[in-house]
Amino acid sequence: MMARMKLRDRLQRLRGSGPGPREAEGGDIALADRPSLAERLRRASIGRGRTALAQEPRSAVLAEAVGAIEIAPGVLCLERWLAERQRHGEVSIGAPAPARGRLIDPGWINSPCRHEPGVESGRAPRPIAVDADLVCLDTETSGLAGGTGTWAFVTGFLRGAGGGWRLRQYLLTRLDAESAYLATIASELEGAALLVSYNGLSFDIPLLATRFRLAGQADPLPALPHLDLLRPVRRAYGRVWPDCRLASVERRLLGFQRRDDLPGSEAPAAWLAWLRGGAVAPLNGVLRHNRWDLLSLAALVPRLAEVFGDPAGFDADVRAVAAYHKAQGRSEQALRLLHAERQRLDPAGLLDLARLHRRRGDWDQARAIWEQLTAAGDAEARAELAKYHEHRTGDLQRALAFAVDLPPGPLKERRCARLSAKLLKRDRLPGAA
Amino acid sequence: MPDPDLPTQSFEHVPPTEIQLTEGHAVTRLKAHLTAGYRARIAGESTQAERSARWLDLPDDLPVSLANALRARGRARLYSHQREAWELARANRHLVVATPTASGKTLCYNLPVLDAVLSRGGKALYLFPTKALAQDQAAELMELSHAVQAAGGSGVKAFTFDGDTPGDARKAVRTRGDVVLSNPDMLHQAILPHHTKWAQFFEGLAYIVVDELHTYRGVFGSHVANVFRRLRRVCRFYGVEPTFLFASATIANPGELAERLCGGPVAVIAESGAPQGERHLLLWNPPVINPDLGIRASARSQTTRIARTAAKLGLKSIVFARSRLMVEVITKYLKDVFDRDPRKPPRVLAYRGGYLPSERRRAEQTMRAGAVDLVVTTSALELGVDIGSLDVAVLNGYPGTVAATWQRLGRAGRRLRPSLGVLIATSDPLDQYMVRHPEFFLGASPEHARIHPDQLLILMDHVRCAAFELPFRDGETFGAEDVDEMLSYLRDEGLLQHQGDRWFWVADSYPANAVSLRSVAEGNFVVIDTTGGAQTVIAEVDYSSAPGTLYEGAIYMIQSQPYQVERLDWAGRKAFVTRTRADYYTDAIDYTRLKILARFDGRTQGRGATAQGEVHLVRRYPGYKKIRYYSHDNIGYGDIDLPDQEMHTTAVWWQVESTALESVLPDRQKAIDGFLGAAYALHHVAALRAMAEIHDLGRSVGDGQGTWFAVVGAEGRGQIRGLDNAPLDAPPGQRFEPTLFLYDNYPGGVGLSDPLYDDAPRLVADARDLVAGCGCTAGCPACVGPVLRADEELAITPRQAALKVLELLCGAAPDANGAGRSG
Repeated sequence: MMARMKLRDRLQRLRGSGPGPREAEGGDIALADRPSLAERLRRASIGRGRTALAQEPRSAVLAEAVGAIEIAPGVLCLERWLAERQRHGEVSIGAPAPARGRLIDPGWINSPCRHEPGVESGRAPRPIAVDADLVCLDTETSGLAGGTGTWAFVTGFLRGAGGGWRLRQYLLTRLDAESAYLATIASELEGAALLVSYNGLSFDIPLLATRFRLAGQADPLPALPHLDLLRPVRRAYGRVWPDCRLASVERRLLGFQRRDDLPGSEAPAAWLAWLRGGAVAPLNGVLRHNRWDLLSLAALVPRLAEVFGDPAGFDADVRAVAAYHKAQGRSEQALRLLHAERQRLDPAGLLDLARLHRRRGDWDQARAIWEQLTAAGDAEARAELAKYHEHRTGDLQRALAFAVDLPPGPLKERRCARLSAKLLKRDRLPGAA
Repeated sequence: MPDPDLPTQSFEHVPPTEIQLTEGHAVTRLKAHLTAGYRARIAGESTQAERSARWLDLPDDLPVSLANALRARGRARLYSHQREAWELARANRHLVVATPTASGKTLCYNLPVLDAVLSRGGKALYLFPTKALAQDQAAELMELSHAVQAAGGSGVKAFTFDGDTPGDARKAVRTRGDVVLSNPDMLHQAILPHHTKWAQFFEGLAYIVVDELHTYRGVFGSHVANVFRRLRRVCRFYGVEPTFLFASATIANPGELAERLCGGPVAVIAESGAPQGERHLLLWNPPVINPDLGIRASARSQTTRIARTAAKLGLKSIVFARSRLMVEVITKYLKDVFDRDPRKPPRVLAYRGGYLPSERRRAEQTMRAGAVDLVVTTSALELGVDIGSLDVAVLNGYPGTVAATWQRLGRAGRRLRPSLGVLIATSDPLDQYMVRHPEFFLGASPEHARIHPDQLLILMDHVRCAAFELPFRDGETFGAEDVDEMLSYLRDEGLLQHQGDRWFWVADSYPANAVSLRSVAEGNFVVIDTTGGAQTVIAEVDYSSAPGTLYEGAIYMIQSQPYQVERLDWAGRKAFVTRTRADYYTDAIDYTRLKILARFDGRTQGRGATAQGEVHLVRRYPGYKKIRYYSHDNIGYGDIDLPDQEMHTTAVWWQVESTALESVLPDRQKAIDGFLGAAYALHHVAALRAMAEIHDLGRSVGDGQGTWFAVVGAEGRGQIRGLDNAPLDAPPGQRFEPTLFLYDNYPGGVGLSDPLYDDAPRLVADARDLVAGCGCTAGCPACVGPVLRADEELAITPRQAALKVLELLCGAAPDANGAGRSG
């Protein structure tokens, strides 16, 4: 008689991963009953007994080990106060004295409308000072796949308070405590003027939105203006650095080198180790990783303002930063940045600079750049010179001379045809030379 | 041997003038021509009289703008079934509309949906089995929406949501769509696991429309039933209980299937109020060309001829073939006749699965525009893809089910015009059984679509996905198995944690990505054309058909252009092909070895025993045949080097007492031949009686312990093979106990073997009658499979041997003259 099969065995067998086919004795195939429902129910209840037996990880132990307090069953809060001039790498967090009162570049900020369809759109974000009530936010999650099965089990906040900084990290230690955990997070955000994150618009915010939705709680995040630092970092360094991960950014811009960091990718395993076996040490690593993230966020806000004021001084992409200023209506600043860097600009940057000169009517400067580029074989500059002579100086012969050397194509054909026609017409006109 | 397919041979020697002399519509003339000229080939015929419409007024409670929009589009009244659907849907009753093709099923669900959107701001989710159908319907909804706007109503936003929807457009679909048209795969992998992003949509969800219900059967249907269990769970979370509106082609049990899918009572609307033109059907049996061997002219030759006659009469035809390979072969033969001049636009078009979406879209447009006269297709066009109106449907072989046959026949005659369907029998037993018992087909009700949503592997997959979407609560139900036990299993696997009264997902994974609704196995193959150095993807082939079609050396055809497979990257799921001018095509040889793992039940019957249980199966493709066009000569063999395909599934098997077998068939070679022939007959009868398709079941003869198995060798004789496929002179071991298996051809089984076991006595009796009643001498493709000419001289023919085996299994006294009875 063959043993009654367990669910696990049935599954393994169906998948072909189970023990190999049984050798039949003497060719007889024994009769095996399908496992009865009652039998499987009995086994199920044994299974459940085992959960109860396994020691439930105790939050109190964890709280003590990481220096947190249990503010609700299953919710730990780790709080630290940092001095105003807290060092982080080569800088200190928060705004340095000269930046006090300076406004955060409004072009960096996503107004609430961008990620909340319910909020009226089109309103310009109100100006926010660098030292205003910013709240830096960073989460650690049970996975990167997204979807409703991913948890944000650590949510850390860093905000200025009474001349210093208050750091609070909330840690979910029991799955059935998420409601209280989320309520605490919501109250932590009260009074915030601006949320600061790194890739939060794509990751942390949607994830928390899912959690609030699953818990049936109102989500306070979409109503807040948001500064996702990844965006200005990508703009300034996307074409300069091999990657824009926060760890790279803080090393390059803040001079901060993490030692023995627990990578974010290991956070899921750390949390699972706690949930399953009460392991404490890995979670300590997660919390420290999260703290470093938060400090870097706070330090990056003023540092990036400096980068955008002096991109060359910080080895940033001057052309991209200048283009950004121009798009924000600050053509003068764009011109100043490009002009200062003109010896080191690539042809595209020089063309940008020439365009800015042209816009303010500074034709000689523009022409000088075009001529320099044309001499080096740049087709776009050549086209600009052709236009310049056709429309500006009226020297059609020179315009045509530039146009005939343009790369073949309909644009060249049209320009040459038009110039030839104009020349012909002018030569025929009475009184022409 | 005659060469019936040569295009140079003139058509049937009927002067065109003779055809044209007949009066009436061209369809009527074609039918008259066929019935007058080929009386002997027509095994049965039927005519459905023209049916007039039954109209009812537009309902009073229809929004004014919607009513006016309908009137403006010439729909001032509704067919009776459309009105019936309206009343039921408005009362929030789940319903299924199971009226014939082209009876206006779409409006049955569009009306209540548009009403919900316009008058209550409700939302609707439309699900179609394919992306193409969703796109068709989105276009139709947009037209209706424009008409509503023109009539003063507000617009209805209908968006498709599928794998091609760009990331930045998805948010608009989620937040602004009134109607979202998608497919079950997207619901499974993209919508449900992210349901919070769809919260607004779910909160307003009033209707779930499921069209082409009949396609939700077998493995796919079993998966989708579970996806709907998850969908209803998520809907409960958002506090809504949407109404399901199903539409189905004809099947025996639309209501039952719909109820199993949506988990609630479903009202059935089967009575159509739509008009229909006169429909003619001919059952066609190709003429016998070798009475001794029972060989008939090929169905393919008859198919191409009838299609050619129809085209010459100016009729538009659709030809259905049963395999992709046959589609390409028939297309080539028809193109050789009609598309010889490359300067003219083609009149013949192939349309089948495996083509790239862009190519299919182009083909659909060409068909709708009426630019082609002959469409050759597989089941791909059974679904409601709009291809305009056609006059004639030619079915090359019985599609395997009554329902699929009517669906394919329904492709002709979509307007109020007469139409003709011709069902051409192949030499398969199933087809021959059908044409010899025309009343079976003409009087048969269509099949039951069966699903098995509680199949353990499938159920487990979806419990995993459901646990990811929302935590299970203690005592919650999901399917027929014990949920707590499954959840405990997942907890032990490290995916879940039980805390309080709930089971929470804690793993770092996205389970829906690992579950494919279309199969139990994973990963499509792409076919890459490397002709001329470039690499272009030209087709996709699903995992299960890849080993039989993409082996190195295979000729793979697209629009009858042959490509040769140069290299198969099995792990990378890629086949590299080049264009070729080969004058042959290839056909893979496969064989299957079975080992019994567990016996669930058994009983004696006749001089043998029947049992059912679980088996381990290894399928191997040792080689392939090269077959020349037109002559269909076998011109060579090639080797295939592919990994074995392994599967665990359920099976029914038959054994005979060894003493009884020895007394009736003392020669072991004869016994093997008898078992192989009996398996052939039983397989086909089982497919017919169990209402499954032939490839849903597999057959095998062996010892049940995997030490030997029997195949029909290249020389047409039963052969015993050992473990490594090496031929054996005799079965190893003392005991000789051949076992005949019919197995469920899906991993884990999808519930096909249970009814076979229950019905076993009748199946064996049917198979015995089939073999005993066949008109051939020694055996033929219509009873025990093809046999050699030399077999006729044998004292015991393969047919007699099979009959002896079947009689032992039946328990009937062996009839010494059994095989001599005339049919």
